[in-house]
Amino acid sequence: MTKAELVQKLREADSFVVVGKSVQRLDALDKVLGVPLYTSDLVPKDALSVKVVRSTVAHALIKRIDTEPAKRMLGVSVVLTARDIPGLNEAFALLPDRPLLANGKVRCQGEAIAIVAAQDPQVAEDAADRVAVEYESLPSVFSPVEAMKPDSIRVHDTGNVAKYLKVRKGDVKEGFRQAEVIIENTYKTQFQDPVPMEPEVGMAWVERDGTVTCVGSMQTPYYVQTGVAKVLGVSPDKVRVIQATTGGAFGPKSDEMPVDTCALSALVAQKMGKPAILAYTRQESMIARTKRHPFVITLKTGAMNDGRLIASEALVVSDTGAYASLGPLVIIRACFHATGPYVIPHVKTDAYCMYTNNTMAGSFRGFGSPQVHFAAECQMDELAKKLDVDPLDLRLKNMLRPGTLTATSQIVDDACGLEECTKRAIEASDWYAKRAEFGRDQGVFRRGIGIALMYHGNSLGPEGNDYAYVHLLVKPDARVVLRTALTEYGTGAVSGLAQIAAETLGLPIDLFELDRPDTASCRETGPTVASRVIVIGGRAAQLAALKVREKILNVASELLQCDHSNLSIKNGIIHHPHHPRRTITFQNAVEECYKKNVSLNETGFYSAPKCEFENENSQGTTYLQYTYGAVVAEIQVDTELGIVNPLKITAAYDAGRAINPLSVEGQIEGGTIQALGYGLTEQLIHVDGIVANPTLGDYYIPTSLDIPEIQTIIVEYPGAVGPFGAKAMGEPPVDLPAAALANAIAHATGSRVFELPLTAERVLFAAKKGRP
Amino acid sequence: MAKHTVRLNVNGKDHALIVDSTDRLLDVLRDRLNLKGVKEGCGTGDCGACTVIMDGQLVNSCLVLAVQARDKRITTIEGVGTREKPHPVQKAMMKYNAAQCGFCIPAMVLAGKNLLDHNPTPSKQEIKESISGVLCRCTGYYKLITAIQEAAKEMVGVRA
Repeated sequence: MTKAELVQKLREADSFVVVGKSVQRLDALDKVLGVPLYTSDLVPKDALSVKVVRSTVAHALIKRIDTEPAKRMLGVSVVLTARDIPGLNEAFALLPDRPLLANGKVRCQGEAIAIVAAQDPQVAEDAADRVAVEYESLPSVFSPVEAMKPDSIRVHDTGNVAKYLKVRKGDVKEGFRQAEVIIENTYKTQFQDPVPMEPEVGMAWVERDGTVTCVGSMQTPYYVQTGVAKVLGVSPDKVRVIQATTGGAFGPKSDEMPVDTCALSALVAQKMGKPAILAYTRQESMIARTKRHPFVITLKTGAMNDGRLIASEALVVSDTGAYASLGPLVIIRACFHATGPYVIPHVKTDAYCMYTNNTMAGSFRGFGSPQVHFAAECQMDELAKKLDVDPLDLRLKNMLRPGTLTATSQIVDDACGLEECTKRAIEASDWYAKRAEFGRDQGVFRRGIGIALMYHGNSLGPEGNDYAYVHLLVKPDARVVLRTALTEYGTGAVSGLAQIAAETLGLPIDLFELDRPDTASCRETGPTVASRVIVIGGRAAQLAALKVREKILNVASELLQCDHSNLSIKNGIIHHPHHPRRTITFQNAVEECYKKNVSLNETGFYSAPKCEFENENSQGTTYLQYTYGAVVAEIQVDTELGIVNPLKITAAYDAGRAINPLSVEGQIEGGTIQALGYGLTEQLIHVDGIVANPTLGDYYIPTSLDIPEIQTIIVEYPGAVGPFGAKAMGEPPVDLPAAALANAIAHATGSRVFELPLTAERVLFAAKKGRP
Repeated sequence: MAKHTVRLNVNGKDHALIVDSTDRLLDVLRDRLNLKGVKEGCGTGDCGACTVIMDGQLVNSCLVLAVQARDKRITTIEGVGTREKPHPVQKAMMKYNAAQCGFCIPAMVLAGKNLLDHNPTPSKQEIKESISGVLCRCTGYYKLITAIQEAAKEMVGVRA
């Protein structure tokens, strides 16, 4: 069997031993015992504590920074400003816009201006308070729509547009001419803070040979390596980066934040010759780190009287704050998904990522998708209302199915489980009965049921080069160490890589161990983002395992005196299918490899095919495969107070192949509740650019008392790229719940809230309008 | 700053420590007794990651001064279960992959254990209430609740 044939066989196998099984994560025991070491658990005794002086204003020139009072304080080791940076004062991911420490100007609240280090964290904090910054205030712009106007205040000299792109399909004018029904609405979304339970933290020290080691809470060690080296003015190989156990990430720990914490620590470490740690406070984190982009989305939709969609025109505007971070990539995903998962012959979408003087937005689970799905799915319900049809029937009529075209004219392949997700979700939620029953509710408490559908392009697509390296080392005791610079920060995806390797090697999962991601021992492997660990990393894990398998079977075939292509490995036993006695254990074969100096240290490399599409109008293959899903939300509204009580969420997703169904469920449940907060309560309020509620007391994320009943459904239409057909399941669960909740509320009250979050106040005003 | 001698029992072991008036129990546990399973997630009593059991009650150790813990019995995650014999709550959390990033898990385990210490047959609502002071951003709480339910069943079985 060739490797390609073997991969094909593995893809088609319907009786997996390890894959598709709800196995325990490899880090499960450590985690329940509380033994994993997060960055703050590793601080050396002599470490200096670093505190950041941050801008308290939204837009100003810095006239003077007086560091003297801080420097004079007893116990203060050092105070550093932009002038003290030996390398480049740069901390941006994409566009050259953000300095690590402000240089003469600040463009938003929370921008780092100076750092103070002291042995005692309290001294460092007090000293940071004494650094006096004199500002000359500048006029500001806080609305992304205002920022688009030609006479707007400019946040950067280059203008306020960080990125513009468009989709053009068919002839939208002609489409609207043919349309028998046209609706147009504007939807708004808010800043959502990701709130990983561990705030940002990074640590650095200088080794005897002058190299710098950084340890931190992060998603992508190699981005940190590049970023820190740039700031220190050294080559990247002089910086080693190790990911400590990371207490949640959700996106912001992929891009610029870990560069900040590690680079600022490294500056102090290099200057003072002592280890240094920078741990953000919760408040600091909620102001300074990147968060979900607020969007303003205007949708004009044309349909025929029979419900067929014919034209869509969308203006999608995101607020990336004062610095772009990954905003220019977020807007791409938003632009391509802006119509929702529907067949529309004529599409025109214009998408702008705008600078404002708000705090910085960036990468966050979903990456532009939750915002556009909120708008698109509310719009479908508004259209259904106008056409006087059931919103579910309207969706069934127009949804993407195999052979249809997306908004970017990508042909939907057979791996499209959208219809099955929808049918399973409506069956499980008893949609038609409840839609009728809830609609009859009278009085103060009224129930509603709403649905939303999604598609989610997997992995990077147009957002970057999509490749991964995974290393496997079989030790003399036959235990297998999996090592990669793809990181674990909660999802369990790296355990999933071990499952994939175990399946490929025919070994039980408990033989596997995970090593720490470390630039000293793992190849550069692209970012750990976009739910790409399983989809792309899984392929690399499979390839590494195939290489190990080949070597093991070569040696085994000599011992068993047969051709190695006849051998197979099952549950750690190597055997010949026709000669039951020709059997040795995997362990024996490993021992033999070590005796014969056959190296069992293999690297798998996988690079995804390029997405072929035409840039001008964004037509073609924008993503290599898609995750699909349907969510039904049931709620009860107190129409006197506007308070929404979520009753039940039914969430069905096409996971392609659930490598670990238990972990996939965990992603669906966790994502659903993060999105419940997005839908109902979470909003980082900016008042003239200043964050009004940067605490977990004032910014309300769901607790265990706020969660509705949940039913998760996994359907499997194996995708073209992922190992065994696996699709992305980390991000997609946050795309829909807000939209489904909004539609359920509109069902209950008869009137729509067009803006997230769906607060009591907004629901109340809408309810009063809807049913006077 | 005034110094105080504080005696306290942590995970069954007696300690006598000299502390400042302003020292938080959280820092004493983490920095003086090296109990790193106690996590700081906010420092303002909102997230519950620093939860420990003090005389049978859950407290946010970031809001308790060390002097307030004088003569108290404290249990941290380090005092619950072992690698060979995890507590039933820990075992069930493993089974359901209820620990994702793991940062809230020490507090969740303690909340679950403390509930079952006082109420061996809790309702689902009582379980939800028992962990409501600890925020989790990864799991949506479902697997944690299921795990505590299952641990309760197992423990009642053991007692019977």
